[in-house]
Amino acid sequence: MFLRLEEITKQYGGVQALNGISLQVERGTIKGVMGPNGAGKSTLFHLISGMEKPDSGSIWFKKKEITGRPLHEIARLGVGRTFQTLQIFGNMTVVENVMTGMHMRIRGGILSSGLSLPWTREDEKRAMREAKEMLEQFGLFGRWKWFASQLAYGEQRRLEIVRALAAKPDLLLLDEPAAGLTYPEAKQLAENLARLKENGLTLLLIEHHMGLVMEIADEVAVLNKGELIAEGPPEVVKKDPSVIEAYMVRK
Amino acid sequence: MEAFISSTLFFLTNDPDEETIQLKTMELFAPLPQLFTSGITFGAIYALVGLGFVTIAKASQMINFAQGEFVMLGGMLTFFLFKEIQLPYLLSAFLTIPLVMLIGCLLHLLVIYPLRKASLPILLMATLGASLFLSSASALLFGTLPKALPPFINRPPIDIGPISISLQSLWVVGATCLVLLFLYLLSHRTLLGKAMEASSTDPLGADLSGISRHLMIFIAFGVSAGMGSLAGIFITPIFYVSYHSGTLIGLKGFIAAILGGWGKHSGAILGGFVLGVVESLSVAFMPSGYKDAIAFVVLLLILYLKPKGILGSPFIDSRRW
Amino acid sequence: MVDQAQKEFRTRDLLYSIALWFLSWLIPDPQLHYRREYKFKKRDLFYLSAVLVFPLIWPDPHIHHLMVLAGIHGILALGLTLFLGYAGQISLGQAAFFGVGAYTTAVLTTRYGLPSFLAFWASAIMAAIFALLIGKPLLKLKGYFLALATLGFGEIFLVLVRENASLTGGVIGIFNIPFFSFAGFTFDTYLKQYYLIWGVLTGLVLFSKNLVRSKMGRACLAVASSEEGASALGIDVAWIKLGVFTVGAAFAGLAGSLFASVMSTANPETFSLNLSVLIVMMVVLGGMGNLYGPIAGAIFLTVLIDRLSRYQEYSLPLYGVILILLLIFFPDGIGTRLRVRLIYLISYFGRKKRREKVNL
Repeated sequence: MFLRLEEITKQYGGVQALNGISLQVERGTIKGVMGPNGAGKSTLFHLISGMEKPDSGSIWFKKKEITGRPLHEIARLGVGRTFQTLQIFGNMTVVENVMTGMHMRIRGGILSSGLSLPWTREDEKRAMREAKEMLEQFGLFGRWKWFASQLAYGEQRRLEIVRALAAKPDLLLLDEPAAGLTYPEAKQLAENLARLKENGLTLLLIEHHMGLVMEIADEVAVLNKGELIAEGPPEVVKKDPSVIEAYMVRK
Repeated sequence: MEAFISSTLFFLTNDPDEETIQLKTMELFAPLPQLFTSGITFGAIYALVGLGFVTIAKASQMINFAQGEFVMLGGMLTFFLFKEIQLPYLLSAFLTIPLVMLIGCLLHLLVIYPLRKASLPILLMATLGASLFLSSASALLFGTLPKALPPFINRPPIDIGPISISLQSLWVVGATCLVLLFLYLLSHRTLLGKAMEASSTDPLGADLSGISRHLMIFIAFGVSAGMGSLAGIFITPIFYVSYHSGTLIGLKGFIAAILGGWGKHSGAILGGFVLGVVESLSVAFMPSGYKDAIAFVVLLLILYLKPKGILGSPFIDSRRW
Repeated sequence: MVDQAQKEFRTRDLLYSIALWFLSWLIPDPQLHYRREYKFKKRDLFYLSAVLVFPLIWPDPHIHHLMVLAGIHGILALGLTLFLGYAGQISLGQAAFFGVGAYTTAVLTTRYGLPSFLAFWASAIMAAIFALLIGKPLLKLKGYFLALATLGFGEIFLVLVRENASLTGGVIGIFNIPFFSFAGFTFDTYLKQYYLIWGVLTGLVLFSKNLVRSKMGRACLAVASSEEGASALGIDVAWIKLGVFTVGAAFAGLAGSLFASVMSTANPETFSLNLSVLIVMMVVLGGMGNLYGPIAGAIFLTVLIDRLSRYQEYSLPLYGVILILLLIFFPDGIGTRLRVRLIYLISYFGRKKRREKVNL
């Protein structure tokens, strides 16, 4: 099993954010996580990526338990993520943002970098080349010398995905990748994500944009008030009465 | 050149041969209860200074490292008005408070307000620069000798068993309680206090609801300068105050505020007393040279073990701390 | 007539653009401090040759001595800029590491007769060890609390130095530290010391330049920008901060060692809070996230202090006022803001001339 969540519980103060969630994600599939606001989707992502610790339950990734491990260790195991509120490094150029994503794949520590030893220099050059290639794939190459803070919002969203991909993760958590995008941009995003899936990447995405999820997800899980109310292929879930109720009653 | 660099570089620290704060009545190996009472007196001063820090932090989430200079100015100005201009004692004390409040407001207008959009290191440097300016300017104006005022009421200290309590200490503790009451009423019973807190927790939101954030910070600077000067007036009869004693008192007041719980009035008071007592009790167990380090050791311990302080802090979770 | 006017303002235009080009060559682009170039530029060579030639064209021992001090301050500022300018963390305890370096050299050379070359490296290692020990708990903090905690470390260090008189000589300090010597060559004149200090500084600049261009530099900037974002990419934020803090401390240790062997004394007054404030000031005035800026700031402030010392008791208040004014008018560094102003001025005159011509 690729990613497995067992009976995850999380409370904030007295509020039950997640209540006994069990989920499984197969390798090479796209799983959408949906639910009304406050359903606990982002909390779920925080727990998987290690930003917060669950109160009980366990998370397994590639047959290793990752429950409560720090963020960067989980990232090193191959879990990449993007953020709902953009965490772009605005003080760096676009290409440097992507190269930062390759941090784990470049050899060298403080001393070897400072002395500019041959292997660090070699890795730097390789990283630069790769970063430019990735930017070209995602249509950001024309902006590679710009500061990330100068990009438009949609481009920043894309840049964050490219940066997460630069780390070559096995599992990518996308937190509302289409939020604030125009329709054509979202469409293009869907195409890109489908292509990533073909390349063998596993995706877990939170999305409010129904069309996008239905189009690309292999499976959908619906959360409401911290509970998993439906899971399965998109067409089935769409017709599930509890899902319809959750969306209708709350809105 | 070297002389100047050394005088610049080493300006803020206390001279080795002249203790910055010297308790006139303190004997070297005083009994523990006596040390305890003197600790309470020290603590009341730290609490007053800490309250000043908290007042500003409650309005703007920033720290004014020149806070200690208000204390020094309070003492120096009272001394100047009383001894040089020969005004009555009470009048000079009452004149000092608005004067120092004016200086506080000027500090905001001339330094803090122009830097309202600056980042943290710049604000930090600016307040440190202001602290340097205030202390060196007061050395220029009032002379470099340490100064002491006569006590408010000239009576022998009260003896309770082995402990003798000077009346001035009682004055200091009483003043601290009064200031606390005043601040409590200000921040919990008036609209002004609410507005200040609002402008601290969410500056933009406060702006949108019609609160002038800069006016709030301006007022907070005035109030905290007034409190600092009050501390200065109360302590000058007990300690010698000289132009460079402000920085250390200021830092210790800040430490007290963190110790009790950063951002809480009650925290600053509690932290002040705890710090004062710990510091003076340490004299019994350690060479007195280590006394100034005690506060910083307490600081490092509290920041490492429990950054929220004894009473818990409303600020710690926010972005800036 | 029209031809004449056009021709005139063309030549003027040429002059203005040459001036602009020269300016932009001498002082980097305001935002260039983040856009780290991957090549050794002609500008670097220019700076280097200026450093080499400077004492020869201005043979005044007082200036040489001033530049020695400025170089030592420059090393300190360079160490701090990695921590403050790139990783975005503030430290007011840099003077303590400077002191650790100076005392290590002083004790090793005077008590144990170690050659100053070895003591030089030992100082850096000692300061780095101190930084590792102190940094591990402290660097959890940020902002004002970090500033205050590092300041507290500095004060504790001072008290320890004063009280352990048997090791450090107490408040009097240690005297007669031998001059720096290497392979039988003693650096005993200001001129020799100048080349020693600035040579070391050049080496350290190269080291830091490599560092900030590498993955470590990017990691630092990432930590300064968004810690969550950085650690989601597998960057160990705590370790990066600690590593940069340690490098900065090692630089300060080297500076302290050089200071001790150049001044041949070490006493606790040198390493007080005021030096820490001065170092932060150099970095802030030099522009954050920039390697040459802090060195320029170090030279500027050292010279400023020297010039101010003429005014005796007025010098300190003046110094305070000047610092505050500089902060208010050049909040993002003197170089960057000055460049913007100068460019504006030059192009303003260019435009003005053109306007006048058109109005005719």
